[in-house]
Amino acid sequence: MPLNLVVCLKQIPNPDLQFSVTPDGRDIRREGLNYKINGSDEYALEEAVRLKEKNGGRVVAVTVGPKRAESILREALAKGADEAVRVAYDDPAAFDVGKVARILAAAVKTLPHDLVLTGVQSDDYSNSATGGLVAGILGLPHVSVVTKVQVQGDGLQAWSELEGGLQRRYSVGLPALLSIQFGANTPRYAPLPAIMKAARVPIKEIAPAALGLASWEAVALPYAFAVRGLAPPAAKGHAEFIPGPVEEQAKKLAQLLREKGFVRR
Amino acid sequence: MGRDVLILAEHLEGKLAPSTLELVAKGRELAAQSGGAVKAALLGHGAGALAQSLADHGLEVLHADDPALSDYTDGGYEQALQALLGALAPRLLLIAHTSQGYDVAPGIAGRMDLPLVTNAVDVRLEGDRLVATRRLLNEKIQGQFEFASDRTFVVTLRPGSVKPAGLASGGKVSIVPVAVDPSRLRTKCLGLERPQVADIDLSSADIIVSAGRGIQKKENLPLIEDFAKLVGGVVGASRPLTDMEWLPKTRQVGQSGKTVRPKLYVACGISGAMQHVAGMKDSGLIVAINTDPSAPIFEIAHVGIVANVLQLLPAVIKELKS
Repeated sequence: MPLNLVVCLKQIPNPDLQFSVTPDGRDIRREGLNYKINGSDEYALEEAVRLKEKNGGRVVAVTVGPKRAESILREALAKGADEAVRVAYDDPAAFDVGKVARILAAAVKTLPHDLVLTGVQSDDYSNSATGGLVAGILGLPHVSVVTKVQVQGDGLQAWSELEGGLQRRYSVGLPALLSIQFGANTPRYAPLPAIMKAARVPIKEIAPAALGLASWEAVALPYAFAVRGLAPPAAKGHAEFIPGPVEEQAKKLAQLLREKGFVRR
Repeated sequence: MGRDVLILAEHLEGKLAPSTLELVAKGRELAAQSGGAVKAALLGHGAGALAQSLADHGLEVLHADDPALSDYTDGGYEQALQALLGALAPRLLLIAHTSQGYDVAPGIAGRMDLPLVTNAVDVRLEGDRLVATRRLLNEKIQGQFEFASDRTFVVTLRPGSVKPAGLASGGKVSIVPVAVDPSRLRTKCLGLERPQVADIDLSSADIIVSAGRGIQKKENLPLIEDFAKLVGGVVGASRPLTDMEWLPKTRQVGQSGKTVRPKLYVACGISGAMQHVAGMKDSGLIVAINTDPSAPIFEIAHVGIVANVLQLLPAVIKELKS
């Protein structure tokens, strides 16, 4: 059964970086940040491409973000997506996940979709909300934290990971939305010829008008959103630090482990 | 718009999720701010005893019983919650930020066009505004976000953010007639599956030495194992390592892995993402070794060492062997 697959990707700043806050406290300093594809979205992309390879169909990669986000779409094309769409919402911070999800849902609605895939969460804002919101807005059945998916008859079977490693197995009718868990598969590397080819593929751009909006400010929201302020978190706890050069630290730690009775000799 | 705060009870195989009692505590605080009462919605089938055990924490439990609610599905819960929210119009619906919470909270918010904030570590009401505190970017930034709305706020609270509520009098169970139309359900639960355990059981270990991405290469695992052996411990791991299959899934500590409470927990090159911390924060003595002095693991560690674990551990092993 060929599937129209839509995979939603997000470009995020590399979360291993150090971050500081702008003087007005409304955003992080963005100059000098390097950006990458969100971790679990890589698994969503791989799952989409595998489903296409196994069942036939097409994969459309979609992102909502500024021009710089095109790099992750090129990456998706090189790894097996057939088409790339950037919804040109240019807010570099985009803290309001409800707004982004409403824009994304409106864009997905314009694409043929039997199955929509997202990552389980973005590693920058950690909302785990985009997939569920898009599904709720579009009225799609949805399963979250999916570690495995199979086509079964005219629907799917999906395994959802719970706390403690338990899995719930579901059957899901199509069209549907799944959020894919980290580690669900092993994402492929893009071969060089595919990377070069992907660089030349035109990326479709969706402006507000294409979604029937005068501007992105015209997105109807059931709330008013504001960033009150960002700051480094006040340290909750306070590890007692062992200072000094490594040899000194090692000596102190060994001594501590002995004193507490954790050493068996 | 009502003033009550409705919490969604989470349960599995006849047991309440520990996070549900945290929601009771937080819900009580929020209800005091909104001038209403905290109530719980317990959706299930044949779960009357569970509803009573929740009511024993001093709140009214609205118990919806329907065969279609015997397992969690997006569709069954969304139908039931739509009916409950329609009848109650609570100021706020509070859900735990768990695997199930990731699914149900945005699902209902999207379906009913409600304001949503997820993974909050703190939340409060100020008049018609909701102010949520969230952690961003690997816990390195904290933000306060404000939502103004006259509709029910849907909020997920990160587990471990508040102390769970204790037993209290004054609670009761009210049966609410909620019928789920099974013909509209597109998702069906086919069953629960447990991982096959053919490995050591981390949750029974007294001493755990866990490795994270800071060990850089799989080839460095023997170093962690040597150290673990010297202190009589077993080796655990953070999620990235088990995802890369450096260690089996059974060794993963964290929200999606094992919850452990050993006497000694040594975190080697683990930054301390909430996913991991949720599974080990109650350990007796936590020693953290990390090159980044701002790593969140140092917030919950008792002893911190800012060092490269690949340089520190060989020196410690030498000390312990001398």
